[in-house]
Amino acid sequence: MPQAGIEEQLRAARLEVDGAIQLLVTASPESLDRCAPILETASQRIAGFQSRLGEEGGNSKAREEARRLRSSVSRAGRLLEGAASFHFNWSRMRDTLCAGYTEGGAPAPAPPRKRISIEG
Amino acid sequence: MNLLSLLNTSAGTLAAYGSVLETAQNNVSNASTPGYAKQSMQLTAMPFDPSTGFQGGVRSGTLVSSRDEYAEQAVRQQNVSLGAQQQLVDSLTSLESLFDISGQQGIPKALNDVFSAFSAWGASPTNQATRQTVLDSATEVAQSFQQAANGLANQEHTATQQVSQTVDQVNQLVGQLQQLNKIIMAGNRNDAGIDAQVNSTLQNLSQLVDFTATKQDDGSVTVMLNGNQLLLTEDQQYKLSFTQSMPTSPPPTYPNAPPSAQVLTSDGTDITSQITNGQLGALLNVRNQVLPSYIGDAYQPGDLNTMAKQFADRVNQLLTSGQMSDGTAGVPLFTYDTSNDTAVARTIAVDPNVTPDQLAAVDPAANVSNGIPLALSQLASPADPADEINGVSYSQFYGNLAGRVGSQLNDATNQSQVQQSLVAQAESLRQQTSGVSLDEEATILVEFQRAYQATSKFITVLDQLTQTTIDMLPT
Repeated sequence: MPQAGIEEQLRAARLEVDGAIQLLVTASPESLDRCAPILETASQRIAGFQSRLGEEGGNSKAREEARRLRSSVSRAGRLLEGAASFHFNWSRMRDTLCAGYTEGGAPAPAPPRKRISIEG
Repeated sequence: MNLLSLLNTSAGTLAAYGSVLETAQNNVSNASTPGYAKQSMQLTAMPFDPSTGFQGGVRSGTLVSSRDEYAEQAVRQQNVSLGAQQQLVDSLTSLESLFDISGQQGIPKALNDVFSAFSAWGASPTNQATRQTVLDSATEVAQSFQQAANGLANQEHTATQQVSQTVDQVNQLVGQLQQLNKIIMAGNRNDAGIDAQVNSTLQNLSQLVDFTATKQDDGSVTVMLNGNQLLLTEDQQYKLSFTQSMPTSPPPTYPNAPPSAQVLTSDGTDITSQITNGQLGALLNVRNQVLPSYIGDAYQPGDLNTMAKQFADRVNQLLTSGQMSDGTAGVPLFTYDTSNDTAVARTIAVDPNVTPDQLAAVDPAANVSNGIPLALSQLASPADPADEINGVSYSQFYGNLAGRVGSQLNDATNQSQVQQSLVAQAESLRQQTSGVSLDEEATILVEFQRAYQATSKFITVLDQLTQTTIDMLPT
């Protein structure tokens, strides 16, 4: 693969991850749903050229671009953790409000709400 | 149902919808008010049974705020970290400007010049001009150490003032909350304007320190620093104070070093070590950790002082081991305050009584006429461990010292950018979860869990792939 090709691929992957970051900032279930395919595309892109990297090499610019990509991936990871932490704690709080505490002092899991569905 | 009761029911209903409209208007008017949360009016259906006199209709019920304290606290939590990272970027940017790594000015240039002067003196050991250049460039080295030390001392002074001012700001904001608590406790707990002011003040406070705010049954807010130090309860404020003092335990190794900055509670307890986040945490870190690593504190001399001392001692040692051409013993070149290892860089100077003639060039042990200048010029690229500092040359040691600031600044800049995204995310999550019902919450949580698992998997894969790519690419 030509040198510029590796850089371009890495840059393209980074732009995809940056796009996922924008979605992770919103962090709604819908935006997270859209996030996974974007990250999958980025993963496939990297996996696609990585196998040839050992033979065809790269340069320091490509390495720099790879570092920027890693920084973006790390940022995406932090945002996902942020959203997960928010929802996890929210879930615990909701359990506590709905079902109180267990004997051990942990939030008791909220019982599933029962619904009746009538079809005519 | 007679006409009068019908009119009465209609009037009541109109009044209820009037309240709803008023609430909506209030929401629109306050859309950009800092800290304001949307309110909604609950309507209550009245019983309808004409046979028993119940005439139906609706009445306005209680005013409900969409504010969710959990979501508010989550935003504040991210704000605290953002405040810390932004302050760190500000402080380290100022600090970085003191450390030149281009070699065109400051200590690196002075070292290059003095090493060149030693070489030139070695080439012409009896030449007066080259001897004078050695004295001039040694003076340049001393001055550059002094300038760096003074610059760092100014930074320390600025950081000290900033810590003091930030403690004042914390007290001021908590004082505002105290006044708001008084208003709330006087019967204004449902006042949306007061509620907005409370939240706006808490938002500002979250830039400065890490705290938890709890709403009490009477509507007042309790504020705990780091979740364990009471700053405010009802109408009682517990002020923080700022002081500087030398730690006593363990006993200081360098008792003449600059004192540390301390934050005390209202009862005089030192809580400095507990304040690690927010603007105040970052300032304390810069003031008590980062700057002392260069200019010292009670337990360390500081790298700049260590470098100045070792350089001065090594040059003096080589010069005093030499002789002048008439057999007179060499004299030391540098002086500094030997009573205080944390003041070496600030006080280093060339002895004004030393003249070019007194520079000893002859190495009597090897009987070489230019042995001392040659040994001095070896300091540039040391072969002898005695010419090194911490296993590296003086120029490398300085480069590491300057690089440390650059690296810390780089980390802080990256973290600050990530933190800005996390604040935006927390605000978005607050918006999404504002006023949702338990049913909606349950649905969102299930959906989120599913989406989280898929996204998490790809981030892990991407992280591994990227690391492998970096490892495969040449440096």
